[in-house]
Amino acid sequence: MERLYFWPTNPAASLFALWVLSQVFLYAARVPMHRALREVGRLLGGAFRIGARWCRGLAGVAARRDHEMIVEMGKGDTEAKIGREFHRIEGAFAKELARYPDLHRKLDDVVTKVDADFQECATAAPAAPGWSEAVAAVSKMPPNMDATVKKVLEEIQKSAVAGEKKALGEFREATAKKHKILSSMAPAWKELQKLATEVARAVSGALEATKRIDGFMSSYEKVRAADQKATRALGWNATQLFVVSLLVMAVAMGGAFVNFNLIALPMSELVPSGSRIGGMPVATVAALVVVLMEVAAGVFAMEMLGITGFFPKLELLPKSRRRIILTVALGGLFMLACIEASLAVLREQIVESSTALKASLAGVHETAVAQTASSRIPVVGQAVLGFILPWILAMVAVPLETMISTGGHIVLSAATGLLHLLGMICRLGGHGMRYLCEGARHLYDIYIVIPLQIERMVGSGARGAGSSVGLRGQEARR
Amino acid sequence: MRRAPIVAAALLAGSCSSGAQYAQAIVALVDVSGTYADQRPEVVNVIRKGVLPHLTPGDTLVVIRIDSESYKKDNVEASVTLDVRPSKANAQKLQLANTLETFGHKPLRAAHTDIRGAMMLGAEYLRETNAGRRTMVIFSDMEEDLPRGVKREMATDELKGVRVLAMNVKRLGHDNANPTAYRARLAGWEKQLTSHGAREFKVVLEADKLADLLDEG
Repeated sequence: MERLYFWPTNPAASLFALWVLSQVFLYAARVPMHRALREVGRLLGGAFRIGARWCRGLAGVAARRDHEMIVEMGKGDTEAKIGREFHRIEGAFAKELARYPDLHRKLDDVVTKVDADFQECATAAPAAPGWSEAVAAVSKMPPNMDATVKKVLEEIQKSAVAGEKKALGEFREATAKKHKILSSMAPAWKELQKLATEVARAVSGALEATKRIDGFMSSYEKVRAADQKATRALGWNATQLFVVSLLVMAVAMGGAFVNFNLIALPMSELVPSGSRIGGMPVATVAALVVVLMEVAAGVFAMEMLGITGFFPKLELLPKSRRRIILTVALGGLFMLACIEASLAVLREQIVESSTALKASLAGVHETAVAQTASSRIPVVGQAVLGFILPWILAMVAVPLETMISTGGHIVLSAATGLLHLLGMICRLGGHGMRYLCEGARHLYDIYIVIPLQIERMVGSGARGAGSSVGLRGQEARR
Repeated sequence: MRRAPIVAAALLAGSCSSGAQYAQAIVALVDVSGTYADQRPEVVNVIRKGVLPHLTPGDTLVVIRIDSESYKKDNVEASVTLDVRPSKANAQKLQLANTLETFGHKPLRAAHTDIRGAMMLGAEYLRETNAGRRTMVIFSDMEEDLPRGVKREMATDELKGVRVLAMNVKRLGHDNANPTAYRARLAGWEKQLTSHGAREFKVVLEADKLADLLDEG
């Protein structure tokens, strides 16, 4: 600053001279400077506006992609559900229909038997026609008759009574037989009832499946029609799934970390190499690879069990081959679990040895060390942990798949939100730049307020003089 | 597309490196001359408790005796590079501890103190290890007293990248009378060693801090 002084010995005069010069210069440059500031404001505002528009456009594209993805995901999900229901129905129908001829035959048999029994029950021994009326007429005859006739009639009466008695006995016998037949019909009725219940159950199952399919179909139609409510619900569902799978993955990562630490130290005994890969000892890399192999084996096992669907090619494999891969994956997991259990035991031994060495180097008595390390619980605990952790890690395939499938929606949603935010910041920035340049113009004018006031006074004086000259001219013309 | 596997193989090969550059090499210089000779059992104790337990597989420890003429291979009392297997490394540590114990009870007393000779020998061992972290721990009163006719001129990069820790520096009789002389002696060493490429020169008073300083690298 001092270098700019005209008179270094007199800074006040120098500063004043500088101020006067700046006033003169800035007053002279006022109009182009105003224009420049306005243009700069416009330029910056325009740039920010373009940025905001670009962000908005990108946000729109991302939102559209997200929507499309959600719809496709929903369609795929609903199609899978419908397919599964149809599969179930197909299975149920195949089973029920396979049983149907047998059922039908059984029903026919039972119905025929019941019909035959019923027919048998319906047949009754017919009474002799007119016999009872004849007996009644004979009994009504007056007693003053010929003795021979009387005797004949009495014999007839006796025969009639005996016949009636016999007929009554026969009737009772037939009734008892019918009752017996009816009682033997009871199991048939029960069987009929059972068969009818079975049929009813199958039909109600089919009806329930149909209802479920109806529900899925209606949601499928909504998704196909890109219904806003259905899409929002799908998006929310995907977010929920993502959060849950993220939590599970975080827990699994913790498990993997514990697992890794459990085997990293003993692995240096198994992989004794001084080399490093990317700065990490080979033993550590080997431990990491073992953990990753467990996850990979788990992914294949889950894939073969039909729980996940990472590899479409594997789904097309025949069942026998799938079973082979499943066996290999589970066998591999079992082997790795056994290796980890043994490594955990080895780790405990190494730690014990190191502790004993440190104590020995520090001069601590050996018996004290032996007392503290006498329990076998840590060894057993570590071995069990080493065996269980690979199986738990194998389960990570399920949340991993969910996270990958829903991750796209989350990324696109986040990108949309971020772009909207950026767009808003750009819009605000555009306004801010415009007002900033406007403010700069005003500050410029404030700085040169003295020359401006002088200009105004001179201008108003000249206008006053001009107007008075004009008035005088008018008067003269008059 | 054909180049992709080659590039991947080259990257993998490039990422593979020897573990030596990540290892630590420590040279302990133990003064057995003059008044410091009595300190040997304590020094051995410090190495046993403060240095040995903190060594990891792949690390190197060399113990060199400072006597009248220290630039001799015979002055190397113990030298070990720990095996990468933890169990074997522990056995090596135990063996080294026993060697140091024997060294601690040897009847040794030198008439002169050749510190720079031991430093030069130690620097050679450190260079040979090619370790990433190189530390020289000096157990001495830092008062050099070369015998007549012995010359010690260190190269400008003799201690390049080496961290020098002066441990358990014993105050001499005249140091107590004039502490400024003691401080000036240490400052002189610092100047000399850093001018020969030493990364750092630090005086350590507490034996417990040695382990932390070694871990810091």
